[in-house]
Amino acid sequence: MTAQKTSKFFRSKSFALIAIIIVMIIAFTLGNKNYISAGNISGFMTNISTAGLLAVGMVCLLISGNVDLAAGTEACMAGIFVATILGSGMPWPVALIITILFGAAMGLFNAFLVNVLGFMGFIATIGMSSVYKGLALVVSNGINVSISNQGFYPLGAYSIQMGKFALPLPFIYTVVLFVIYGLILKYTKFGRSIYLIGGNRNAARLAGVSIKKVSTILYINCGAIAAFCGAVSTAKMNSAGPQAISGTEMDSIAGAVLGGVSFMGGSGGLGGAFIGLFLISAFKNGLTAISLPTYWQTVAQGGILLIALVVDYFGERSRVSALKAEAAQAA
Amino acid sequence: MKTESKAKKFFGSKTFTLLLLLAAMVIVFTILSGGLKSIKGSFIDPKNLKQVIAGMSVVSVLTIGAGCLLISGQVDLSAGGIGTLSALLFAHFYSNWGIPLIISLIISLIIAGAIGYFNAILINRLNCQGFITTMATALVCTGLTYVLSASGDGILKNIRIENEAFNYIGTKSVLGGYVPVIVLIALAFFVVYGIIVSQTKFGRSIYLVGGNPTASHLAGINPKRISNILFVNSAVLGGVAGIFYTAKMKQGSYAGIAGNQFAGMTAAILGGISFGGGSGGMVGAFIGLLILNAFQNGVTIIGVPSYWQQVASGLLLIVALSVDFLAMQRKAAGLRRTVRRGQAEKAAAAEGGDK
Amino acid sequence: MANSLEFNDVGKMFPGVRALSGVSFKAESGKVLALLGENGAGKSTLLKVLSGDIKPDEGEILIDDVQQSFSSPLESIKAGISVIYQERQLIPGLSVAENIFAGDLPGSSGIVNYKELRDAASEIIQKFGLSIDPDQPVGRLSVAYQQMVEIMKAYRRNSSIIAFDEPTASLAEAEISILFRLINELKAEGKVIIYISHRLGEIFELADNIVVLKDGQLVKTFVCSETTEDDLIHAMVGRDIGDTYANLSRNSVYGDTILEVSGLETEDIHDISFSLKKGEVLGFAGLVGAGRTEVMRAIFGADKILAGTVTFEGKEVHFKSPKNAIDAGIALCPEDRKEQGLVLFRSIRDNITMPVLAKLRKFLFLNKKDEAVLADAAIEKYSIRTPTADKIVFELSGGNQQKVILGRWTSDLFPAKLLILDEPTKGIDVGTKAEVYQMVCDYAKAGMAVIFVSSELTEVINVADRIIVMKDGRITGEVLRAEATEEAVLAMAMAGE
Repeated sequence: MTAQKTSKFFRSKSFALIAIIIVMIIAFTLGNKNYISAGNISGFMTNISTAGLLAVGMVCLLISGNVDLAAGTEACMAGIFVATILGSGMPWPVALIITILFGAAMGLFNAFLVNVLGFMGFIATIGMSSVYKGLALVVSNGINVSISNQGFYPLGAYSIQMGKFALPLPFIYTVVLFVIYGLILKYTKFGRSIYLIGGNRNAARLAGVSIKKVSTILYINCGAIAAFCGAVSTAKMNSAGPQAISGTEMDSIAGAVLGGVSFMGGSGGLGGAFIGLFLISAFKNGLTAISLPTYWQTVAQGGILLIALVVDYFGERSRVSALKAEAAQAA
Repeated sequence: MKTESKAKKFFGSKTFTLLLLLAAMVIVFTILSGGLKSIKGSFIDPKNLKQVIAGMSVVSVLTIGAGCLLISGQVDLSAGGIGTLSALLFAHFYSNWGIPLIISLIISLIIAGAIGYFNAILINRLNCQGFITTMATALVCTGLTYVLSASGDGILKNIRIENEAFNYIGTKSVLGGYVPVIVLIALAFFVVYGIIVSQTKFGRSIYLVGGNPTASHLAGINPKRISNILFVNSAVLGGVAGIFYTAKMKQGSYAGIAGNQFAGMTAAILGGISFGGGSGGMVGAFIGLLILNAFQNGVTIIGVPSYWQQVASGLLLIVALSVDFLAMQRKAAGLRRTVRRGQAEKAAAAEGGDK
Repeated sequence: MANSLEFNDVGKMFPGVRALSGVSFKAESGKVLALLGENGAGKSTLLKVLSGDIKPDEGEILIDDVQQSFSSPLESIKAGISVIYQERQLIPGLSVAENIFAGDLPGSSGIVNYKELRDAASEIIQKFGLSIDPDQPVGRLSVAYQQMVEIMKAYRRNSSIIAFDEPTASLAEAEISILFRLINELKAEGKVIIYISHRLGEIFELADNIVVLKDGQLVKTFVCSETTEDDLIHAMVGRDIGDTYANLSRNSVYGDTILEVSGLETEDIHDISFSLKKGEVLGFAGLVGAGRTEVMRAIFGADKILAGTVTFEGKEVHFKSPKNAIDAGIALCPEDRKEQGLVLFRSIRDNITMPVLAKLRKFLFLNKKDEAVLADAAIEKYSIRTPTADKIVFELSGGNQQKVILGRWTSDLFPAKLLILDEPTKGIDVGTKAEVYQMVCDYAKAGMAVIFVSSELTEVINVADRIIVMKDGRITGEVLRAEATEEAVLAMAMAGE
């Protein structure tokens, strides 16, 4: 039984990804021995948290067969929003809560487009991302909005010192949210109903699950988490810019899909998504560590995605043939 | 009788809804830009209309590529990136390496097609998800474009093109100076693709494959082949759009047309093309393109600040989707009316029978 | 526990069709009420009204004389109604247990109790007498087992009103007998049971009362013990079918051998050998999952052949894709019309001309006039009920959809030499079935070779000239029609069990 479980793990998608990550880390360390230094790791943790936070809401949406391509610009909007209301002298905890509600409202609007007007989610949210990008420019007038509130800054910039190593707060938020939402997805009735509507809408409906209700909650959730992400990122930078975070949702989606979350819905989970996201972030970080010219970094980012997709194909093929062999043995 | 029903069919069609929208837009922009008082400087100032037409060249070919793929149930987010890269390569070949213009052109389009085929292999042979695959390809292309146009000190530079004929095509206008030559070429593309999509076996196959690939396969159509061709087509058209842009600017640009594939998709969707080939075609896509251009020009001329223009173009995509939604509603309402009339007639007949 | 379910003057309009009109009847607890009717008679619509999937325009549903109004499936479920649909509503990636309890997982305060879930699922599986691992993803089960999971889903709700829509369509005999045992148990427990089936034999075995619908209206209500098959058919079609099979006008002259399969081997089938003559109707019988469809797919070039040969018209052929087979003159009407046969949102015309587009070319373009002629010819030949060839196939009834596919493969531009029909009568009403049988014989008379695959034993042994029986991907027997009995064929289909 244990042997079987082990062999299953070795054939799993996660294993392939982890293997790639290990090889990558070794390669980057050979290129720059500071790659696994305390400083770089804590920088890496700060970096992964933006895409990571967005991924939490996004993965839930993806599993339900939806997507929010405006998540990054929603975070950007929320960042400017929180900077603006802080500027009016509002205490930061209140401002944070209002910002999250603001994000939820943006999510609600997406849900309206998809559930009430019946638009295709990915096209409607591309449209919304363009709207938010423009609004961000309008509101900020094209320049960064800086923050004077002293209490807000640590929310994104504080790190817990552990000897030489600093554990950044945003990374802790990310891990906590991954764990909480991972548990929700696996162990709650609501979480399971997300898989239900993503796997077979009609079956879900006939089983009495309200597709619109679930997907509306998920859009709101994604918007709210995106707003939190925007607030944290603003705190980290101590200012909010009209270009911030936009586009990061693509990293979140790419990581999730690499980690086994299907774009069609109904399968995958946050664990795999985390591994996928880790791979992408570690790779980006490594490219900087070995000081590859910036322009080549863009090429390499696309390249790693393509390589991962190809590796996934061969992994899938070996899994299928192994399953067939198993079935043949059983028969 | 038959002509009447044809007319009726036209008035009930999506094309008609789209034309209405276009007309409404023209009227609104004309009024808002002061066209009632004086034509000069308003939306319908011939000078401005010239601008509207001139703006069509680059996006039009992208609209065609995106439209065909949408009908077949797929998307290509890399068309703009591929186009930028191949156009820059073209400028590089011609200006830096001295390869003859036509040969540079052909080689760069072949490279675009090859990248499109690479997309196709990943998507159709290795079953990768199209959305994410083309996104990755776009990244690689954009990165390579930067690498190619970066000089020693890391600063990005455009590549000038010194060729009379080429620059003539890009900048001169014909028909009384109203229609730029490249727009004319783009129109020719529309006509050719319009015929291919609606009048040929291949065109029909795109719809069938979009609707049901399995059934198409079992009826002797090769869905993967169709899809491969369409991805290559989308990439080559991306290349053509890039060349158009190069001709307009008289230089190979590193920023180029990256991201313009979204405009192409917007125009196609505005034009009523639905995902998976339920409806729409090149005529609609063309009207969609007109709407898109009229809109983008209109918001500028009525003095919408540039930041708001970005907001507006996002809203336009949302409106595009709504048009589809409204047309469906109208169709449903029409059907309901027919049913009610049928019932009334039946009831009347039944009553008559009773007597 | 409800004692009665009553439909009172229920009516429903769809664009262009009056799906239901003034339907009233009452079903009582402890009895099985069968709903009978041709395709398009309104049975499925009635079921959708019952499940809260659609709202009726007129009339109401009463449970124990209390008026109900469902605005969603959830409300119908809460009122104690379970509907088992013809189309499986499963999520392939989730476990069997989770599918059975979909939408209603055990546990308290929103948290799923996986242990309880597994135990409850195991208990139900045991009750059904099957051996399925509740943790297994449902996508890995056979089609028949998936159907059983679908039935378990409704069963576990312990509803007082249970409706079955053609539950046996993809079940083999063994599972059918399990199902019937369960239905009889449910009946004994005092449930209200509604049962829809095209198979009259089943209805006589199960039902107490029978309601016959036609064109959305109730024709007549029968008490099962006081009626005969002929009465029912008469009520359903409005005419006597008589003995369908005896009246078939068959072909008796065979031509040369057209197809010779020898030692065919794919991943799913083994050592398949048989031959077929022009003008012959060759039946393929067997239980669901016996490998018949896979044999057809291999011949048609849709599945990879690992060993063996296919000889068509005297030449050994190696089809790499369905296109090669089609070019050679072979046609396949697939088992699953909607998923594999039709492009649902395109017109009748587009669907008919799919394989012959290359022949409809004038210069580079499609000749739309010829195309229209071809489509109209098929509409007329098969009397497909539609105002124009432009109608979207999605809007047609199942029988008419099947005729569109038949029209596709028998047009003047594509006179198939070998026609493979995989379950051509699945989900089709009695009247159209008889039409299909005669068409099969007519094809043979015209010199075509026909392969007729069917899971309905009676049908396959009465329509085909010769019957090949399969089990587990192998051929287990072959009989001529004259010698075939249901018992003998079934024995071969279940050989070794």
